[in-house]
Amino acid sequence: MGNLAVMSDTVQRDLPRTRTPTPKRSVFTRIVRVIGWTSIGLGLFLLGFLFHQLFVTTFFAQRANVALEAEAVEYFEETEVSQVPYVPTGVQEAPAEGGSIDSSGPTGPDQPVGGPDEPKFIFIEGQPDRGQAFAILTIPKIDRLSDGWAIVEGVARSQLKTGAGHYPTTPLPGQPGNSAIAGHRTTYGAPFHNLEILVAGDTIEVETALGVSIYEVRETVIVRPTEIWVTQDRPGAWLTLTTCHPKLSSRQRLVVFAEMVSGPNYETIYG
Amino acid sequence: MKRAFLSLPGPMVVKVILAIIIVVVALIALNYIYDWMGNFLDSGGNIG
Repeated sequence: MGNLAVMSDTVQRDLPRTRTPTPKRSVFTRIVRVIGWTSIGLGLFLLGFLFHQLFVTTFFAQRANVALEAEAVEYFEETEVSQVPYVPTGVQEAPAEGGSIDSSGPTGPDQPVGGPDEPKFIFIEGQPDRGQAFAILTIPKIDRLSDGWAIVEGVARSQLKTGAGHYPTTPLPGQPGNSAIAGHRTTYGAPFHNLEILVAGDTIEVETALGVSIYEVRETVIVRPTEIWVTQDRPGAWLTLTTCHPKLSSRQRLVVFAEMVSGPNYETIYG
Repeated sequence: MKRAFLSLPGPMVVKVILAIIIVVVALIALNYIYDWMGNFLDSGGNIG
């Protein structure tokens, strides 16, 4: 009996070990597996995208903007301000939504306001280089902008990543005409995130090398991204802010028109 | 992941260096793709 048990053990030990065959997956299971992993991958990719756009870009833009504000203050000190005779331009009425402006240039006499005996002068500064921080925008009603946000020259993507961008074809803030500024709504610091809360009468301040100019909101409109009339010249001194609309979409543009109510050139332009 | 790492050529040091390079390149590429896609979320608000 004992011998039989030993022999049985030996036989079992000598038998080749066989692996349990894994069940073959059906085509359906494989397809479901591929779809599942693809969905997980796509979901992670999109979550990463949202995290990148809403937080990573804002983190870097806010850091960059602090440096740009310091750069703007330096620019104020270094920039030469001069006075030139004031010739009003674009005396046409401001257009209604969707309208257009004839930007054929000055329509009044080509001489300083007040006649040849009594010319008026405005303060001007040189055109900043592309990407240069040259002004600070402050909107007390909007938390994000209540401490100021640097404005850089240019509205290319690279320039708008760090600050609000000034359209180079429009006058500089604080000067006569329509100075237009674009800014992100939801990414890259989103300086214009809550621009829609501005209503007629709210104030916007812009500090440049000339000093602080204060504008008062007159109108807010929503237009298509191709409606360039909003940046065209206007009589007086205006500030036009443009941003994407609605939030998380670049389908339309939210535009805020504000008119100068105070500043180094106010008396000359409106006096 | 471990299998992919072990399948990289060369000794362990080379594998580690290659893995770091691949991760950095992938992150840079991902950043560019996200940046391009972000244009649809918020193009900067400029007109024209």
